[in-house]
Amino acid sequence: MRNDCKVTDRQGGPARAKKSLNATATAAAYQKEWFSGLRARVDAGEDFAYLNADVPMEVLRAMDIPFVVNQWWAAICAAKRMTSKYFSLLSSAGYRDDLCSYCATAFAESLDPDDKTSGPWGGLPSPTIAITRLTCDCQSKIFELFARNHGADLYLMENTQARTVPPDWWELAADRWEELYDSDRLDAAVEELKALIGFLETKTGKLFDINKLVEVMALINEQENWYKKTRDLIAITRPAPVTVVDTINAVMQAQWQRGTQWAAAHAKSLYEEIKAFVDEGRCAVPNEKYRLMWLGRGLWHDFAFYQNFEEKYGAVFTWSMYLAMGADAYIRNNFEQDPLRALAARYIGMEDFLHMPPWNAQWFLSEARHNLIDGVVYMAPENCMQAVEGSYFIKKTLEDAGIPVLLFKADPVDSRKWNRDTMTGMVEDFIETRLVNGGKK
Amino acid sequence: MSIRECAMNSEAFRRLYEVYKNRETVSDAFRKNGGKVVGQMGCDVPDELVIAAGMMPVRLYADEYRPLVQADKYLEYSFDPVMRAQFEKVVDGTYNDRIDYLAISNSTDVIIRLYLYLREIKRLDPAAPIPPLEFIDWLFTRKMIHQSRNELTVRLFWRKLEEWSGRTITDNDVQSAAAICNEDRAALRRISALRKADEVKVSGSEALVIIGSAFFMDRREHANLVNLVADDAQSWPGIDAARIFMTGSAQESTELYELIEKVGGVVIGEDHDWGDRFFGRDCNTSYSPVRAIVDAYMMREFSSKKATVSQRVKALNDAVDSARAEGVLFYINAYEEAASWDFPSQKSSLESRGIATGSFVKMLFPLSENRDLEEKLGSFVESVRRVRRDA
Repeated sequence: MRNDCKVTDRQGGPARAKKSLNATATAAAYQKEWFSGLRARVDAGEDFAYLNADVPMEVLRAMDIPFVVNQWWAAICAAKRMTSKYFSLLSSAGYRDDLCSYCATAFAESLDPDDKTSGPWGGLPSPTIAITRLTCDCQSKIFELFARNHGADLYLMENTQARTVPPDWWELAADRWEELYDSDRLDAAVEELKALIGFLETKTGKLFDINKLVEVMALINEQENWYKKTRDLIAITRPAPVTVVDTINAVMQAQWQRGTQWAAAHAKSLYEEIKAFVDEGRCAVPNEKYRLMWLGRGLWHDFAFYQNFEEKYGAVFTWSMYLAMGADAYIRNNFEQDPLRALAARYIGMEDFLHMPPWNAQWFLSEARHNLIDGVVYMAPENCMQAVEGSYFIKKTLEDAGIPVLLFKADPVDSRKWNRDTMTGMVEDFIETRLVNGGKK
Repeated sequence: MSIRECAMNSEAFRRLYEVYKNRETVSDAFRKNGGKVVGQMGCDVPDELVIAAGMMPVRLYADEYRPLVQADKYLEYSFDPVMRAQFEKVVDGTYNDRIDYLAISNSTDVIIRLYLYLREIKRLDPAAPIPPLEFIDWLFTRKMIHQSRNELTVRLFWRKLEEWSGRTITDNDVQSAAAICNEDRAALRRISALRKADEVKVSGSEALVIIGSAFFMDRREHANLVNLVADDAQSWPGIDAARIFMTGSAQESTELYELIEKVGGVVIGEDHDWGDRFFGRDCNTSYSPVRAIVDAYMMREFSSKKATVSQRVKALNDAVDSARAEGVLFYINAYEEAASWDFPSQKSSLESRGIATGSFVKMLFPLSENRDLEEKLGSFVESVRRVRRDA
């Protein structure tokens, strides 16, 4: 779809990213308000859980146990430029400060005696529960150290590997999710969920109600279907109405609120706002020439980086996994018969979809084609085995299909290792050598 | 100190030494005679089942000086160097000529990735010289649901071995193989006792040879030879050196231990999989075969990769106490990160009990790449001696 463009109110490559969507601002405002409410509940003596991103938070949502997601909080800390301080605290306590930055930020923060005054939004309230999945050898260790510092109960969930890998997972995930996995693997994941529920019931004294989970699952489907419509709309609209600077924050913040009325409504408002942009002919970058795909975690400490290439080259980051995962990975229809099994089919897949070749590579290619991508900028994290995902296979799959890839390593949260000028130069070189004039320059 | 003359004078030790140094000799002959060899990547492939299938298990290991052409092509930088070097030998076809099948256990997160990558390479290029693969998806969290899941996992591997070997594996086959493996473990415990005695009779590097040769030869023969070495070692001279316990990266060769011995220490125990951890727990033959294998591998001492910090603190304290070590060496290869999260708590716990610690992290592979290592190890051993003197 050709978008006859009117400019949205964003230009150039500012020191801090400029965002054009109300939905982004709304999400930012909501999460602050929500966090304040969460703190009040914790202060009033409620149990409070701290979860890794791949933990099936739907269970806690259904049980009305307040929780914060580790990766969301790490992103907040990075955006508030706190990580340098936190990692120096790690070092002072005898830990290495060059490991697992994404997962260890909250543990590092827990070493800060001044957290209540200097931490983001008054610091993280002390959790009474810490839950992670064993998707990496370091996870249980970091979460145990974190839990110990807060006096929280640690709960670990196991992770299993796929024996069979049917092609095109995104075609099966919503309606034929049972076919995605070995049946015994789904059985085991359901048992894992039941064990988690038992732990939470004992710890909090709250009853898990399956009917409540049904409501949560329905709301999530509603929310993620809006993301699907949004992703599809951006994919076919040229120039793009928005960039990843708008969508990453709008989606990621709401994704951690999934299963709530607010998140479903927010996803709808996000779609409607972007649809209105398209209908009005508004676009993010009027001189859009190249559409870029961002592979890897969000660059939380330097969002403005994404906008550095718009004015000079017309190169626009239009795709990130945050919106697209919402579109393709979360929806589970036909869940009413067995909501726990449908939930299992969601949470065990996240690791597979993102980090297991060939599933990740095939999906990225499908998305690149669907989103009319001209080039891919792929940030592999420096110190994270969990995010090791077969970068060779991903790059090869995309390049073999004629889509150039720039692969580089950097840290999504630790700004100490980031040099914007160097990184900008690298991407500029990629654009000039691989994209401009069809890569013939 | 290295391997002492008294050890080399033992005929049984010499045989183990020969196998340890020439690791393919026995398995090559086994294949030449029509046998099938199962390579093992990861330390949790159940030997008992492979032996019960009439096949020979061999442990994959790194070549220190082989250029890492394939590893550099396929692997991200964050794979540790030993696993990179093992991967190289699989992908470049070296192992294709020496093993018939490759069983991979999820002993670390890195190995899971290697399995996924190997599977993908084979999918993209069916002609790639990679042997048929089987992944053993152990869960190490100690809950009944995971124990049950592990039983399924063992049954799947059992079936795969039947397919590979072309024969039915009976319960009796597994029980007989378990008995052989238990005999071997018992023999190795005799050696361990000699390492940890008041008068240390077997050095760390000698012990690595005795233990590591098990991975490359017939297990019953190994048990017999180890028992003979244990008999011989009763009369070996005692070693007067600082008693060091080593934790961290697995040592596939004796180089590090020899360096420690050179500067006045002796490694009397370790918790890695080319050392004491290999024979820590028997396969309980009074259980059903599947349950016995699950029990042996799931319930043995926590590895540094698959355990929480508190589990590792307790495991190390127990091992150090049992060995009566005076110092603990933390030696962790670059990118082998998990144990780094344990270290501060372990160090604190050990030092509060008067045990000296030395930390060597982000170590390069091969060992010779580390500058001034001998000097630094010397300083550490001297600090251990100082604690002894002060005491």
